[in-house]
Amino acid sequence: MKYLLLSFLLISAASAQTVLKITGEVSKPLHLQAADLKVMPYVEVKATDRDGQEHRYSGVPVIALLRKAGVTVGGQLRGENLVKYALVRAADGYEVLFALPELDPEFSARTIILAESVDGAALPAGTGPYRLVVPEEKKPARWIREVREIEIRFAK
Amino acid sequence: MIRSLSLILSLLLLGIAFAFTINPPYPLQIPNTFGHRYTIPADNPMTVEGVALGRYLFYDSLLSKNNTISCSSCHRQALAFTDGFALSIGVSGRPTFRNSMSLANLLWVRDFFWDGHSKTLEAQALIPLAHPDEMGLAPEKAAQKLQQTTFYPLRFLKAFGTDQITPELMAKALAQFERTLISANSPYDQHLQGKYTLTPAEKRGMDLFMRGSNREQTIRGANCAHCHGGAQFFQNRFHNNGLDASPLDPGRQEVTGFDEDFARFRVPTLRNIALTAPYMHDGRFKTLEDVVNHYSDHIAQSTTLSADLRGMIALTAQERQDLVAFLHTLTDQEFIRNPAFGNPFLRP
Ligand code: HEC
Ligand code: HEC
Repeated sequence: MKYLLLSFLLISAASAQTVLKITGEVSKPLHLQAADLKVMPYVEVKATDRDGQEHRYSGVPVIALLRKAGVTVGGQLRGENLVKYALVRAADGYEVLFALPELDPEFSARTIILAESVDGAALPAGTGPYRLVVPEEKKPARWIREVREIEIRFAK
Repeated sequence: MIRSLSLILSLLLLGIAFAFTINPPYPLQIPNTFGHRYTIPADNPMTVEGVALGRYLFYDSLLSKNNTISCSSCHRQALAFTDGFALSIGVSGRPTFRNSMSLANLLWVRDFFWDGHSKTLEAQALIPLAHPDEMGLAPEKAAQKLQQTTFYPLRFLKAFGTDQITPELMAKALAQFERTLISANSPYDQHLQGKYTLTPAEKRGMDLFMRGSNREQTIRGANCAHCHGGAQFFQNRFHNNGLDASPLDPGRQEVTGFDEDFARFRVPTLRNIALTAPYMHDGRFKTLEDVVNHYSDHIAQSTTLSADLRGMIALTAQERQDLVAFLHTLTDQEFIRNPAFGNPFLRP
C-alpha cells in the first residue's frame, strides 16, 4: 500500500473543544482539539467500505497518536506490554478493541488511521469528524465512526 | 440483680456481634448469556441485608416530602418498574421532564437516565429523592426522618454495621436492591433454551428484528438489533432515532456539550416492552404499533439522525404485526411477579 504524505498549512479556526481523548495506560494523557490533530502528519490509505467501493481516506496514523501519548509501542511493545489493548470509543458509546500490536507498524503491515476525510471531502455528519479506517479488514465493524476517545488498558 | 443485668448486657452485645456475622453476600444469579461486563463498586458489595434494606427504602413513601411518593410510585413492578404515564407525577403534582424508565438489568447499564447523566446507581439514587417534582426531600432530611423511626436504625446496623443513617448509605442500599432486578426469563429466553417454540409470526418478527436488509431487498430486515441487540436488548449507546425534525429536548448534548449529540438519547431496553407503554423519552407513543409505524414511515430527518436509520425500509402490514408479536415474547412474567422484588411492607 502506498502512503501519500500531506502537509497541512492551514489550521482551522481553533475551537476550544476537546475532540479526542487518549487516556489510560499512557505516560501523557491527551485532550486534543481539532487544531492539534491538524498539525500532525497525515497519511492516505485506500480501503474498501461497506459499499464495496474502494475509497481514499486521509488522516493521522493511530500509531502517531499513541506515540504522542507515550504508549508502550515500538521497542517497548514486549513482555507484559503485549497484553495491553486500545479501546476506541465513539460519540454514541460504540466501542471496539485493538491489541496494541495491531496498531504498531513494527508488527503489522497495514496502517490503521484516524481518518478525517474520504476522497478529499470531510467525513459526513454521523461518520466524522473522525473515523477509524482499518485497511484490509474483511468486515468494517471496527471502522468506528465519530471517534471521541482511545483508552489504553491492561488485560487483567 | 447485677448478675442478671450483666447477663442481659452480654446477650445484647452478642446479639449485635451476631447481627454483623449474619449478613452474608447476596447470591446474585447472572444469566449465562448476559456476561460479566458490569461493575459493582468495591465499597458497596451486595449483601442479603443491604438488598433487603434497599427494598424497604424503594417502597417507602417516608422518603418523600409529604409521605405520599416512593420510588415504586413511578417504578411499579407490575409494569416492569415503569408507571404507565407519558410523564410521571411526583410530590409537586407537576409532570416530570421525561418518561419513567424500566428498572430491569440495571447491572449492565453504564450511563443512567435517558441522557446518561449519571454514572452509577449510587449517584443516581439520591437524584429523584431531592428532585422537587419527584420526591422533593433533601437526602439529609430523609436520613433524619429514617433515623427517628424505630424500624430503620436496626436495619442499617444489620446492613452496614452502623445505625447512623446517612444519604450515602441510603443510596448504597437502594443501589444494591436495584442490582438484583434481573429479567431473563421471557418466552424469548425460553426459546433460546429450547423450552418454548415461537409461533410463525413471532419467528418472522424475530428475523426482521435481528437483521438488516441486503441491498437488493431479497432479504428484508428492520435492523432493530443493531441498536437494541444483545442479550439485554439494549446497548449503552446514544442515538437520535428520528422522532422530530426539530427536536425540543437536547438530550445527550446537555451532558457532553457536543453539537453532534443533540437530541440523542440512550437506547433503552426492549425487555418487557409490552408492559412499559407509553414509549420514548417523552412518552409520545401509546402502543407498540405506533412505535413500529414510526420506524417504518415517519423517521424525521435532522442533523443528528442516526446514520443507521437512514436506510430504513417501509414495512408491510404483515411485517408490522410480526415485529410486534416478537416484541411481546420479551415479557418476563417471572420478573413482574417475583416476590423478592415486590413491596416488603405487604409481603416481606
Ligand atoms: C416522580 C416519579 C419518579 C420517582 C418518585 C422516582 N423515579 Fe426513577 N425515574 C423517573 C423518571 C421520569 C426517570 C427518567 C428521568 C430522566 O431520564 O430524565 C427515572 C429514571 C430512573 C432510573 C434510571 C434507569 C436507567 O435505565 O437509566 C433509575 C435507576 C431510577 N429512576 C431509580 C429510582 C429510585 C431508586 C427512586 C427512589 C429513590 C426513583 N427512581 C424515584 C421517575 C421517578
Ligand atoms: C439507531 C438506533 C436504533 C434503531 C436501529 C432502533 N432503535 Fe428503537 N430506540 C432507539 C433510541 C435511541 C430510543 C430512545 C429514543 C427516545 O426516547 O428519544 C429507542 C426507543 C425505542 C422504543 C421505546 C422504548 C421505551 O422504553 O420507551 C421502542 C419500543 C423501540 N425503540 C423499538 C425499536 C424497534 C422495533 C426497532 C426496529 C424497527 C428499533 N427500535 C430500531 C434507537 C434505535
